[in-house]
Amino acid sequence: MRESKSVQGTLLATPAMLWMIGLLIVPLILIVVTSFGQRDPDGNVIYTFSLHNYIRLAGIKTNCGDGAAVCFDSLYLRILVRSVGLALATTLLTIVLGYPLAYYVARAPARRRNMLLFLILIPLWTNFVIRVYAWIRILRAFDLLYTPQAVLVGMVYEFIPFMILPMYTSLEKIDPSLYEAAADLGANSLRTFLKVTLPLSLPGVVAGTLLVFVPVMGTFVVSDILGGKQFELVGNLIQGQFLDARDPTFGSAASVILMGMTLIVMIIYTRKFGFGEEVAIT
Amino acid sequence: MLKSSRIIWLGLVLLVSMSMTLAACGGGAAPATQTPSAAQPTQAPAEKPTDMPQPTEAAMEQPTEAAPATAAAPSGAFVSKPSGKTTSSGFECPEPQPKLDVQSTEVNLFVWTEYIPQDAIECFELVYGVTVNRKEYSSNEEMYATLSAGSSTYDLVQPTDYLVGLMKRQDLLQKLDHSKLPVLATFDPNYLNLEFDPNNEYTVPYQGGTDAIVYNSDVIQEAPTSYADLWKFVDAGKLLSLDDSRAVIGATLLTLGYDVNTTDEKQLAEAKAKLAELAQGITLYDSDSPKSALIAGDVDLGITWTGEAFLAAQENPAIKYVYPTEGAILWQDNYAMPKEAPHPDAAYAWMNYTLQPDLFFLMLRDFPYTNPSQGALEFARDSALTVKDADGNEIAVADLYQAYTESPITNTPPEDLKKGHRIEDVGAATPLYDQIWTEIKQ
Repeated sequence: MRESKSVQGTLLATPAMLWMIGLLIVPLILIVVTSFGQRDPDGNVIYTFSLHNYIRLAGIKTNCGDGAAVCFDSLYLRILVRSVGLALATTLLTIVLGYPLAYYVARAPARRRNMLLFLILIPLWTNFVIRVYAWIRILRAFDLLYTPQAVLVGMVYEFIPFMILPMYTSLEKIDPSLYEAAADLGANSLRTFLKVTLPLSLPGVVAGTLLVFVPVMGTFVVSDILGGKQFELVGNLIQGQFLDARDPTFGSAASVILMGMTLIVMIIYTRKFGFGEEVAIT
Repeated sequence: MLKSSRIIWLGLVLLVSMSMTLAACGGGAAPATQTPSAAQPTQAPAEKPTDMPQPTEAAMEQPTEAAPATAAAPSGAFVSKPSGKTTSSGFECPEPQPKLDVQSTEVNLFVWTEYIPQDAIECFELVYGVTVNRKEYSSNEEMYATLSAGSSTYDLVQPTDYLVGLMKRQDLLQKLDHSKLPVLATFDPNYLNLEFDPNNEYTVPYQGGTDAIVYNSDVIQEAPTSYADLWKFVDAGKLLSLDDSRAVIGATLLTLGYDVNTTDEKQLAEAKAKLAELAQGITLYDSDSPKSALIAGDVDLGITWTGEAFLAAQENPAIKYVYPTEGAILWQDNYAMPKEAPHPDAAYAWMNYTLQPDLFFLMLRDFPYTNPSQGALEFARDSALTVKDADGNEIAVADLYQAYTESPITNTPPEDLKKGHRIEDVGAATPLYDQIWTEIKQ
C-alpha cells in the first residue's frame, strides 16, 4: 500500500523532473561548458578549457597599449556593479512604495480587498513592452526620457506587483485579535505597528525581495527602451555577446558570473532573514 | 500560523507568469514595430571605395529628366498583364511572368520586419494558391543565430551584404539556379555581381540603402556636412546613434582617415578615444525605430539609415539627410535560400513574382529604400495606374516614382554612391569592435 503510493508519487513527479532536467539542468551545464571555450573568427564555439573569458571579465588585460605587460580595466566590473546597484535601488523603492499599499489593501474590507488586488493585477495582462512604450510618453513629458532615473522608474513600475502581493499575503494573515490584544495592553498605533505588524509581515518582504532582486539583475528591456541603450547592464552585455558580437563563450561566462553573484546575494540574504519564514513576535 | 510556503508559491507563480510575458516579448528585443533597416553593410572591397563596383546612376536618373524619358524605354520593356485577382486593399494583382510550376502548398519566409508589402503577399497567395508563412527579425544577428542553430524551416531569408560571406563559409546557403530566376534580368546591373557574392550565385538583391547623417533643420542652424561635424554638437547633447558597432565605429574611423573595415588595433584604439568624446553627447542608441525619437524631438541629429530618415522627413520636412563628405556607409539586403529550404519551388516562384516590376514597385509606396530593380522603377515611371496609400487615398504610381527620385534619401546621388563604403565581416577582430562598443556605451 505504502509502496504503491510512493510509486504514484514518483510517476507524478516524473514529467516535472524531466522538464527540469531537460530544460534547466542540461542548458545550465552547457552554459558552464561553453564559458570555458573559445570562439573562432566566424563565431563558432571551440570547446577547450580556457579561463580567458573570465580573465577578460575580471578586466585583466595583456594588451595594454602603453607597453605594460598586464593592466587592469574595470569595464565589465563597472557593468556588474551598476546592475547590482540598480537591482538594490529597485528593491528598496518597491518596498518603500509597496508596503503602505499592501497594508492598505490588507486592512480594507473583504469585498473591496479583492477589487483592489484585481486592480494591482490588471496591468500584468498587457504585454510589458507595450506598457514600457507608454512610459516613453510620460517620461518625455517630464523631460526624463533616456536618463538613469527613467530606467529606475521603469524597473520599479515593472516589479512593484511582485513586491506588493507577497507583502499583502503576509499582512492579510495577521490575526486581528493580535491588534486588539496590543490595544488592550495599551500599545499606541505606532508601537502596534512596530511590534506586531512589521515583524509579522517581514516574511512577505523577504519573499518579495527575492522575487524582485533576482529578475532585475538579469533584465535589459527597460534600460534599452527607457534608457536609450546608454546604460549597459549585465543583461545587455549577455544579449550582445550572443547576437551582435557572436561570442557565445564570453556571453556564457558573463551568465555564469551573473548566476553566481545572484546566488551569493541570495545566500547571504536568506541566511540573515530566512526564506520568508515566520518571525516570532518579540 | 502563516505558511511561508504559501507566499513563496504565490511569488513563484507570479514570477513564472512574468517570465512568460517577457519571453513573449522576444527576449526583450524591441517589439515588432520596427523598420527593417538594416544592419550594416558589409562585405565589400577592402580596396579604395572608388574601385568598388558601385551602384551608379543607371536606374536613377534625375527626376526631371526621368519623366520625359519615358518614350525611350529600353528594348524588351516589361509589359504588365492582369491576373484578374484583387487583394483585400483593392490592388489588382498582375499575372506572374512566367508562372512557374509549384508543387508546394506553402512557403516559409524569414525576413526583416516591415519589409514586404502586404499586397505582394496576398497576390502571391491568390495567384499561386500557396500559403505564405512569414516570420520577422529585426537584426541580421538574430536571423543568423536562428539559422546557425540548425533551423531548417525557412525557404528564404534576407541577409545584409556583410553577412552573406559568413553564411556561405558556414555552409548555410544553397546556390541559386539562375534558369529559375528570369527576374534577375530586370535588375540594375549596378546592384548585381557585387563583391560579397560574385555572379549572384547565392543572392538576389532586395533593397539598398545608406547610413548617413540626419538632422532637424529647425533646431540645428549650421548643417553638418561630414561625420566629423557631429563632434561639434556634443555639448548640445541630443545626438542619435544607430545601435550598431560597425556603423558607428566605422564612421569614426572615416573621420580619422582610416578604412571602415580596419583590424589595426592602433587605429581602433584611436577611434575609440575619439568616439568616447562623441558618446558624451549621445542620448539614444537605436536601430529599431529612431524616427520616433527624431519626430518627437528627443534627438536633433546623428547617424541613421535611409528608410527611417525618409519616413521621418515625410512626417517633418525639417528633418534632413546628409551624405557625409567622408562617404556614407552603404548596404544592401538580399534574398538568399537556406541550404535545407523545404520548398525551393515556391521560393523561386516567390522571388520571381514579388520582384516582378509590376509588383515590386509597391516598395516605393510601402517601404521606400533604394530600389535595385530598374524594371520596377521604369514600370512606376511609365505607369498610369493608381494605388491606395496607407490611409486609403488614391495615389498615382507615377507620383510615387517622382517622390522616390526627387528624394535624395532614397535616390542617393551617384557621386555619393561612388564615395560610399561597405562594411565587411572582420572575423577575428569582431570581439575588438564589440569591446570598444561596450566601453563607449558606459
